Amino acid sequence: MVEVRLENVTKKFGRVVALRDINLRFRDGKFTVVLGPSGSGKSTLLYLIAGIYKPTRGRIYFDDKDVTNLPPNKRNVGLVFQNYALYPHMTVYENIAFPLKLRKTPQRKIDEKVHEVAKLLHIEELLDRYPHQLSGGQQQRVALARALVKEPAVLLLDEPLSNLDALLRVKIRAELKKLQEQLGITAIYVTHDQAEAMALADEIIVIHRGVIQQKAPPKKIYEEPANLFVAGFIGNPPTNLLKARLVDGAIELGGSRITIPARLPRDGYIVVGFRPEHASVDAEPLENHASIPGEVYVVEDMGKEKILTIIIGGEMVKVIAPPTAEFKPGDKVYVNIPYRRIMLFDPETGARIEA
Amino acid sequence: MNPLQRLRARRREREEPLIDVETIPRRRLTIVLAIAVGLASLPMLITYILLILTSFSNTAGMLTISDLAHYVPTIQPWIDFLEGKVEPTAGHLYTTMEILGIILNTLIVAAGVSIVVVLTSTMAGYAFSRIRFRGRKALMQLVMILHAFPGVALIIAVYALYVWSLAALPPSAWNTYAFIYVILSRASLEIPMSIWLMKGFFDKIPWEVEWAAIVDGASRIRVWREIVLPLVKPGIAALSIFAFLAGWEDFIYVWVFLKPRDIYTLATFIEEQVRNLETAYFPVVAAAGTLYLIPTIIFFITTQHLLLETYAGGMKA
Ligand SMILES: Nc1ncnc2c1ncn2[C@@H]1O[C@H](COP(=O)(O)OP(=O)(O)OP(=O)(O)O)[C@@H](O)[C@H]1O
Ligand SMILES: [Mg+2]
Repeated sequence: MVEVRLENVTKKFGRVVALRDINLRFRDGKFTVVLGPSGSGKSTLLYLIAGIYKPTRGRIYFDDKDVTNLPPNKRNVGLVFQNYALYPHMTVYENIAFPLKLRKTPQRKIDEKVHEVAKLLHIEELLDRYPHQLSGGQQQRVALARALVKEPAVLLLDEPLSNLDALLRVKIRAELKKLQEQLGITAIYVTHDQAEAMALADEIIVIHRGVIQQKAPPKKIYEEPANLFVAGFIGNPPTNLLKARLVDGAIELGGSRITIPARLPRDGYIVVGFRPEHASVDAEPLENHASIPGEVYVVEDMGKEKILTIIIGGEMVKVIAPPTAEFKPGDKVYVNIPYRRIMLFDPETGARIEA
Repeated sequence: MNPLQRLRARRREREEPLIDVETIPRRRLTIVLAIAVGLASLPMLITYILLILTSFSNTAGMLTISDLAHYVPTIQPWIDFLEGKVEPTAGHLYTTMEILGIILNTLIVAAGVSIVVVLTSTMAGYAFSRIRFRGRKALMQLVMILHAFPGVALIIAVYALYVWSLAALPPSAWNTYAFIYVILSRASLEIPMSIWLMKGFFDKIPWEVEWAAIVDGASRIRVWREIVLPLVKPGIAALSIFAFLAGWEDFIYVWVFLKPRDIYTLATFIEEQVRNLETAYFPVVAAAGTLYLIPTIIFFITTQHLLLETYAGGMKA
């Protein structure tokens, strides 16, 4: 088990900058999730840690050891690839045994360990099969078994669940979390699925266009997003973000003026954000809330809740209402947001303005 | 139509395609195709069968279908052939050719071409598939054009080069050199296409599979030996057979470079017999022709399963 550290790491492919000046610490024994949209540099980050890519600039440490120039086969990392990358011509048993065979582990010991890890991942009955005879979920487990069997110092996982169906994904997700806790291994997990990140992570790192946006525990990422990107990326439906004018230190939104207990510039523009689950829709304005008048546009009944789309001053926002709420398109309503749930962002830099 | 009938009609419409579309028309088409192909190749098939039967008979000429009624099989022509008794004079066969040597020569050329082609195109194919070097695309197009050149057109230049280089060698090395020369020049005709074939096989192996092995602790050489090679094995096998056949069947290069040195392969040997067809003893020539066919038949039986044997699973697209 080690702590992984990146210092001023930049990775370029030709002129494409995949990662820009990254400084990160992945804590020992913790489950860290790297979250970002497609092409944000997540795989590149893992490959750098594994040693498949070399950084253009900067250094990588495992604990106090500088591994920047250490080849992958000397790093003792376990890597589960985005596409599993099982060895097609080997059986499941041979796939899992391969890393041990390379270490010249005695055959008896190999046998013991392969069965142990296969049992842990419930793939014992698949050991004689070839990868193409397995379902996606089974292949994923084999890939995980192959990464775990060598007892790596760091376990790297590149979107390992992205090819599974929704049900299986939720199930394996829980198993994975349990497994990591049991083994106490340092895990770095890459995904573009924010729900997965929230569910698994001790700490989330949000990355966008090769730049770290925020690093914090899931709760903090959710409640205090550092900037517009993080606010818009986390949450389902995503955070409502509305550009508003400042008039005499008050926010002008949807034809009404909101004064909130925060020090704001006297004029200019600002971005107001709130989460769909934090606002409520009512027939009247509420005390201690920012109340914005609007009109119901669409009502989606999801069973456990209703998602209302409301038009406020020409822009659409989404609000989650209880399943009992009775609204229909065309209703004139107020969107009420508790003051402490309102997030404000600088429209120029995207950074959050602390109230 | 009353509503009930309409409903029934609609249901019929809906169900029928379920039974039919996928299976029956396709099966019908396959049968029709099989019959057509069978009929078209019947004359050729009959000719080959007659050739083989002739090689086991003692008729003076080529067997015809009407001869089949009183056909008596014998292996005498094969014995005569292998002993080199190919020259009929006054009703007797005389040994004029060292047949085993000729077979050996043919094997040397074929195996040589096969080895050279496999070694070079496996390495070149891997490079084209994996390394993004400057001028890669232009080079790949060049390889394609090289493949399109007919071998006969090249032979003039190849011959000039041969004569020029021969002068630099002692006469004692000339025979060996001629062999090497034939093998190399014949192989170079096969290599362009083979590079493309092997590149295709390497392209099918995702980078990640190689990386996985390196991360698992394997050295580069180990990855090549234990991961990459086994995965392209069907390609290499198919390639070596193609190249072997190309060498086995080559006529023009062995005719230009080896025959003047009195070195024969089966191709030039058969050509010589056919040139004296009026006087030739047919069953013996037929035996030579049959022997010449054997690699092709073996190839046909083996490659089918080789080319179908590909590994598909274990990698998400
Ligand atoms: N080998 C490469 N050569 C050139 N550019 C590359 C290479 N690998 C990645 N890139 C570029 O670097 C950026 C980051 O790629 P990366 O694969 O790390 O993204 P990702 O976050 O893993 O995306 P995804 O979620 O789609 O897997 C992309 O713009 C990509 O085009
Ligand atoms: Mg990726």
